[in-house]
Amino acid sequence: MGAFVGMNNLKSTNKTVATSLTIGGVIIAVMMIFGILMLLAQGGVIDVPDAMFYQFLTIHGTGMIGAAALAAAGVMWYFLNQYVELSRSIFNWFLGLVIIGVILVVIGVFSFEFAGAWTFLYPLPTISASAWGTIGALLYLFGMLILGTGFLLLYMDTGRAIIKKYGSLGKGLGWDVISGKKKEEDAPPKAVVASTMVTIVNTTAILAGAAVLIMNIINVINPSFTFDPMLAKNLTYAFGHIFANAIIYMAVIVVYELLPKYTNRKWVVNRVFLIAWTMSTAFTLVIYTHHMLMDFAMPKWMLIMGQALSYANGLPVLVVTAYGALMIVHKSGIKWDMGSGLAFLSMFGWTVGVVPAIVDATIVVNHVMHNTKWVPGHFHMYMGLGAVVMLFSFMYYLAKVDSTVKESKIDRIALWCYALAMISISVQFLVSGALSTPRRWAIHYPGWMTPAVFGAIAGVFLVIATTIFIIHFVRYMKNRGKLGSDKYEQKTA
Amino acid sequence: MRKPLYIGALLYLILIIPPIRSYMESIMIIHMLIQLPLLMVVGWFLGKYIVYKAPKVFHAINENGVPGMILIVAITMYWMLPRTLDEALTLPQYEVFKFISLPLVGLLLADSWAKIRDVGQIFIYLNYLSMFALMGWLYLDSPIQLCNNYLITQQKTLGWGFIFITASMIVYVLQYVFIDRRRIEE
Ligand code: HEM
Ligand SMILES: [Cu+2]
Repeated sequence: MGAFVGMNNLKSTNKTVATSLTIGGVIIAVMMIFGILMLLAQGGVIDVPDAMFYQFLTIHGTGMIGAAALAAAGVMWYFLNQYVELSRSIFNWFLGLVIIGVILVVIGVFSFEFAGAWTFLYPLPTISASAWGTIGALLYLFGMLILGTGFLLLYMDTGRAIIKKYGSLGKGLGWDVISGKKKEEDAPPKAVVASTMVTIVNTTAILAGAAVLIMNIINVINPSFTFDPMLAKNLTYAFGHIFANAIIYMAVIVVYELLPKYTNRKWVVNRVFLIAWTMSTAFTLVIYTHHMLMDFAMPKWMLIMGQALSYANGLPVLVVTAYGALMIVHKSGIKWDMGSGLAFLSMFGWTVGVVPAIVDATIVVNHVMHNTKWVPGHFHMYMGLGAVVMLFSFMYYLAKVDSTVKESKIDRIALWCYALAMISISVQFLVSGALSTPRRWAIHYPGWMTPAVFGAIAGVFLVIATTIFIIHFVRYMKNRGKLGSDKYEQKTA
Repeated sequence: MRKPLYIGALLYLILIIPPIRSYMESIMIIHMLIQLPLLMVVGWFLGKYIVYKAPKVFHAINENGVPGMILIVAITMYWMLPRTLDEALTLPQYEVFKFISLPLVGLLLADSWAKIRDVGQIFIYLNYLSMFALMGWLYLDSPIQLCNNYLITQQKTLGWGFIFITASMIVYVLQYVFIDRRRIEE
């Protein structure tokens, strides 16, 4: 096993990774507050000017996706680095570029009032009816471009390293095992398979995103340069859908790596596992078209494909992962702690969160539910209760193996508090959706307000729980390396 | 080691010959996608020779290849803008600049490409990939004539040219990442 790659620089490696998780975690907590403010405004509790509501919406969407992706990339990097040789200086560049990008975005949104949502759908950045000016739009668009460049660098490095060790990205996905040329025992580790998948889909997403961002920039600078809006929408959602989706595929690596260690059992990579990941790779690339089910000008076959494959999109990976997780935990006498508890919770959240998505991906239902709060209901559940929980799971895991900081009763209470609060927020969205409350509306009719207020109250508990998680991680950062890392453990064991 | 020098110089002379030059510039796609790249090829051959002759100089000014690469990106991006082609046709000083700056790009490329190593190369490659796609889109989709000297139909042809280049680049990436070259080398 190539488990000792990068051994010598372990301490600083852990520090770099931990930095990405701290930044990501803190931004997520802050963005939750903007989420609460939005719900309070929609619930009629506080008075937020409409323009400001959309600034909140923009920063909340961008911040959550960006921060979760940043932290998830840290998780992926940490584990992938144990199997292939990654460049630490590129990870530092990645961190730096993402931070610069975030700063530009924040300035664009708050100082120059850009409020075109994180989907920056052409031609909205230019045609804002004077809600914001050229500078705000440019700051936002350039910020996103720089952020994307950071991620592009990172995936180039992971791709390069995987190809170097395994020969090609196809082999990183284990295609030679699927085709029977290689034995299942020699299949690439799960962390490598997942990283290969993410490298493929996110490089594609970022290239599409870069093209459409520059196009928007050209249009903002000189509006007489116009582009085909339908093509722009395709590229925008190819970027947004894939990039947001990939977060959970990076974060899930912690589940793969953690549960076998806790249960002292092997979680083998078999052919079914590999096929599932290859299928999800392909589906993730093409199903963004479910964002265009209302666009009658789209070719019909693309929409049908978008619908059909959306049912199946995450399912292969979800099924093999949830099934594998259950099998490995079942009767294993696992010792539950924060790391494993959160990992298990995330599997629950992911599984449950997919159900509303499947319902909504049906064209018939979509014509009714499209653009209602049903949609945020789905993705808050699977992001907030799935992907983000995996990140916290990793934080506790790292703290455990790399320091002597102990988990306390407060942490355990926070776990339950987090789970209940996030479920409440998601259900609140789903109920609103069922009431036909439109999404992205600053103002609600009185009949729509109750769920929003309920969600805001739950949000407060969620912020408290998240803060407790982060405090634990910061305490770890201060006591880092006291115990030695898990690789150190493996070596001495 | 003088061969690249001769090849480069010869190609340069051919490109300068007035009838050839004005023919190439009369068709937009040939101007942008053949003449300009050939000028870079000229520089690349000359660069092989010059870098070989004066490695110390290049080591001093372009040690890791990044300065050279930044200049390359700046100059090539400049020549991808529609109006620069126009100016090269109407204003002689721009035409002269074109015949100097693009060989310079080739020269710098000969020196920098290996120096920026694999990660740098992939990064530059992917950036040009999305840039070419965008240029294709821009030229195809623009409802207005972008140059005084070229008609809209010429513009569309150029757009398809860019799309073709992009598609070829994507095919190249796909075979690069999915074919295991280790076995072929063995
Ligand atoms: C305290 C927790 C949270 C609260 C109260 C909250 C609240 C909200 C609200 C009110 C909206 C606008 C809904 C609408 O369209 O009317 C929203 C949108 C959104 N939220 Fe959250 N949220 C929370 C956590 C999260 C998390 C953890 C994530 C992802 C990691 C997330 C990602 C998003 C995204 C991507 C949008 C869509 C923005 C858009 O439509 O442009 N949120 N959230
Ligand atoms: Cu989607």
